[in-house]
Amino acid sequence: MLLKCFVVLALALGPSPQALKPSSPRVIRVSAERFAYTPSEITVEKGTVIEFHLTSEDTDHGFRIIGTEVDVQIPKRRRGETVVKYTADTAGRFIIECSRPCGAGHTAMRATLVVK
Amino acid sequence: MPQLSSLVDWKPLILACFGLISHSANVYAQAPAAPPPREGLPTLSGYMEMHLNKVQDLPTEVDLHRFVLMIGHSFSDRLKFWSEVEVEHAFVEVEGGEETGEVAIEQAFIDVMLNRRFNLRAGMVLVPVGIINERHEPPTFHGVERTFVDTVIVPTTWRDTGVGAFGDLGRGFSYRAYAVPGLDAAGFSAEEGIAGGRQQGGRADASDPAVTGRLEYRNTGLTAGASLWRGGAGFGLIRLDIQTPTVAVSSLDARYRRGRHELRGQWSMVNISGAADLNRALQMHTGLSPNIASRLLGAYAEAATRVTPDSWSDEVVVFGRYEKFDTQNKMPAGFQPLQEFQRSAWVAGATYYPDPDVAFKFDVIRERNKSGVVRAPWQINLGVGWWF
Repeated sequence: MLLKCFVVLALALGPSPQALKPSSPRVIRVSAERFAYTPSEITVEKGTVIEFHLTSEDTDHGFRIIGTEVDVQIPKRRRGETVVKYTADTAGRFIIECSRPCGAGHTAMRATLVVK
Repeated sequence: MPQLSSLVDWKPLILACFGLISHSANVYAQAPAAPPPREGLPTLSGYMEMHLNKVQDLPTEVDLHRFVLMIGHSFSDRLKFWSEVEVEHAFVEVEGGEETGEVAIEQAFIDVMLNRRFNLRAGMVLVPVGIINERHEPPTFHGVERTFVDTVIVPTTWRDTGVGAFGDLGRGFSYRAYAVPGLDAAGFSAEEGIAGGRQQGGRADASDPAVTGRLEYRNTGLTAGASLWRGGAGFGLIRLDIQTPTVAVSSLDARYRRGRHELRGQWSMVNISGAADLNRALQMHTGLSPNIASRLLGAYAEAATRVTPDSWSDEVVVFGRYEKFDTQNKMPAGFQPLQEFQRSAWVAGATYYPDPDVAFKFDVIRERNKSGVVRAPWQINLGVGWWF
């Protein structure tokens, strides 16, 4: 009984149902190819939920956002896509780097995520 | 009293009421799962290519052309190491004063990552000229052998010790720029241009330095680049009392891919100043004039299309390429070009990819030249190359 009262109170005083609905993620498609990501700079507003759709034009690549938990593998060309969600809840510039060796220019394969 | 399971079911709703959900778990991957971390530990990768070449009037030849291992290491997010060690033609032996193969360090550099626009690189670097020199893993290009332009005009694999910078300028533009030792003009030739003048990082004479750089633009499906190499080439001729020759290599290239189709092309030019003095000096030195040109010129255009259906994971790509390459495009005053070096070639073939990193290749080459005496051969090539 106490729990039900608590819930009713919470519903009455809490945010409206519309506000509770999580905002739909912003889909950003990133293509990887030796030795670059396209686009190489991504800008979002702070708080944006990003849904990265990652594909490769050649071999498998990595997609690591330095300073976050995001570190996934992008499958080889025509072998599907990796989808990863990330909530940009910290403002700043984040480096994205290839975390899987992909060839002669691997160390310079980077992109930037700008969270405003 | 509610059961424990009921409480668990209610928990998200309760949290939602207080606006505490949604941003708490901010990272998750759908498929596929994240790979185990590979950075932080040394990484090993590499490529290999084996060829069967049948050139007209010559014996059929099978060659394990390249066996390459690449070792990398991240000291930190700001400090990276990358290297490439190559064995060419399976083994190295000196027969009659001539090497049968080659063991070489093709890359070995440290990157210091400072910011998006400006980073530093030092060590053995690839000269950033043309398409193939920096992207030479066998599955990345069609044809068993590299293009003629990327052999006799731009001498791939062209590398040297150097220092420089690289970065992403935004809006799709990026650059690389290095200072490297110059070329040794005493190694230039009429047939293969400046290839024999590369110092390749071994006790290189740095008294005649060069600068090289590339500006690249990428947008959906398109990669276009402009490259330059300019520097001295006369350190080996210091006692011959001639004006020091200088070399300028300029190159434009582009690749465009849309769906199953891909186009690529490259234009490359080499200018050698003081070529007349260079020829005379080398003739006095060796007894023979190398007949080095003051300008070398080459270009190619290639079209490729995947012919297998979208539903197939295996891919077959057919391609055709036309090349013009002239290592004596312009001669210095008093020297005549040899017509056999004004060459062109039609190349047609197919690449079968059972995996995007494994390429079985086939091509036919019909080469022509302007000579009425020296006949350009046709050739058939088979090859397999892979990257891991």
